[in-house]
Amino acid sequence: MAAPCSRMASRPLWQFITNVRRTGLKHTGVRQISLGSACRAATQTRSKTESVASPWKLYGAVCLQRLPVISQERNPIEDQFAELMHQMELERSLLSDHEQRLLEDSERMTRKQADNYDSDEEEADYGGQETITAQDQEDTWEQKLKHFQPALRDRDVGGTPLGSVERCLGDSLVLLVQQTVGKETIWLLPQAQWEAGETLRQTAERGLSSLPEADFKATFLGNTPCGVYRYTFPKEVRTERCVGAKVFFFKAFLSAGSATSQKEPFLWVKKTELQGYLKPAYLEKVDRFILNL
Amino acid sequence: MSIVISRALCRVLSRQTAVPTNVSFLMGVDGHVSQGPWFASVLTLKTSAPLRAEPKKKKKVDPRREQMVRERLKKKLKKLERVPPELIPIEDFTTPAKYMDETRVRGAAQLPFEESERRALLLKEWSRYKQTQHRAEMEAVGLAVEAQREALEELRLESEELYQAALRPDPLLFPFNHQGPSYTPPKAQYEAPEGKYNNITKVYTQ
Repeated sequence: MAAPCSRMASRPLWQFITNVRRTGLKHTGVRQISLGSACRAATQTRSKTESVASPWKLYGAVCLQRLPVISQERNPIEDQFAELMHQMELERSLLSDHEQRLLEDSERMTRKQADNYDSDEEEADYGGQETITAQDQEDTWEQKLKHFQPALRDRDVGGTPLGSVERCLGDSLVLLVQQTVGKETIWLLPQAQWEAGETLRQTAERGLSSLPEADFKATFLGNTPCGVYRYTFPKEVRTERCVGAKVFFFKAFLSAGSATSQKEPFLWVKKTELQGYLKPAYLEKVDRFILNL
Repeated sequence: MSIVISRALCRVLSRQTAVPTNVSFLMGVDGHVSQGPWFASVLTLKTSAPLRAEPKKKKKVDPRREQMVRERLKKKLKKLERVPPELIPIEDFTTPAKYMDETRVRGAAQLPFEESERRALLLKEWSRYKQTQHRAEMEAVGLAVEAQREALEELRLESEELYQAALRPDPLLFPFNHQGPSYTPPKAQYEAPEGKYNNITKVYTQ
């Protein structure tokens, strides 16, 4: 999250992020250096004992986002402002070549239609050539434009199913799947349980690729998790060894691929629609890192 | 004696006449047969035309002169090279002359009072809108960063190894390319027409 975010941001945003990062992860940064220097063996043994004794099950989940394909509709104020800007730019500009040609052609036409038209004098300048007026050119260009039919912006009028990637082209959508957790089948971000010997990012990738009847090509944004959801199991399931589970989320952008069948196990939802599908505690944690920007 | 006289006579006569008369005279003087006009007797000097055109004798001064010329040329070249290279003009910074033309000026429209008022108010409205948008963006990013920090904390509590693996930068992420949103969605199986253009940009070399 940190690295690509900083790349896309503007300067004040970048400063804000570095400030936050500096204050938040300062002590961890210092500790990282000291760890890397000498005592690797000690940390390894420590981590081994920790992983054995940890009472939390680890899961890696992926927050797969399909970024918007078309630009959003303008607000009324944005519309007005765009018009104003266009008008102001037009007023402050000079005449372009094309406009000058138009003026000249119109002047020539008025002169032709005037009574004291001296055709020899006029045509001497142009060598008797047939000139294509700028107006004619404009008309031909408009005709050409009419031949081209762009794809429609709002395809949702027909009501595309929720499982289709093509819905809401102007917003970024998040993938939701239905999985059985414990006794219930609930909607959540695709996740998989962590196995020893792999990083959490690999777990998340496995979770994505193991989805039935779908192949999504995703670009994961870095090795760092963007969020965590910790929950304790209900008392019946709780044992000494596993008290609960921690789900670590990783962000990814959809680059290609789609569901091979149109079955319902997938949902592509906007941020505003998440509330209807996710549990409240889960939603609270997930909502933070899903940006609607 | 006769040979010497004949040589001298040959020299004198050869300057004035062509070769065959020379040979016939020789025949007359020496009294023995020669095989053709081109095979003169060994005793006479070969005074043929190519021999008379004496090639220039190479004087000792010439190599030195050539060296001097070469050195002078090299010095001139060095002087020219010492001049700093001419800066390439930035064509964007010089307004082309045709835009300074007065005929191009658009008639400055006089805005009525209401219009200018409306514009001022709209600009202020816009700045307020943008400010709220910016604040919302900053907040959202702050929340996301906070979420990430929490995640790293929890991961650290879990296992140091996974934490270190998470902190490692991903070398395959950059260069990251993404096609941004356009006004209309892409058409399936659309073949864009091939456009031709003549590139007339001036290329400067230093």
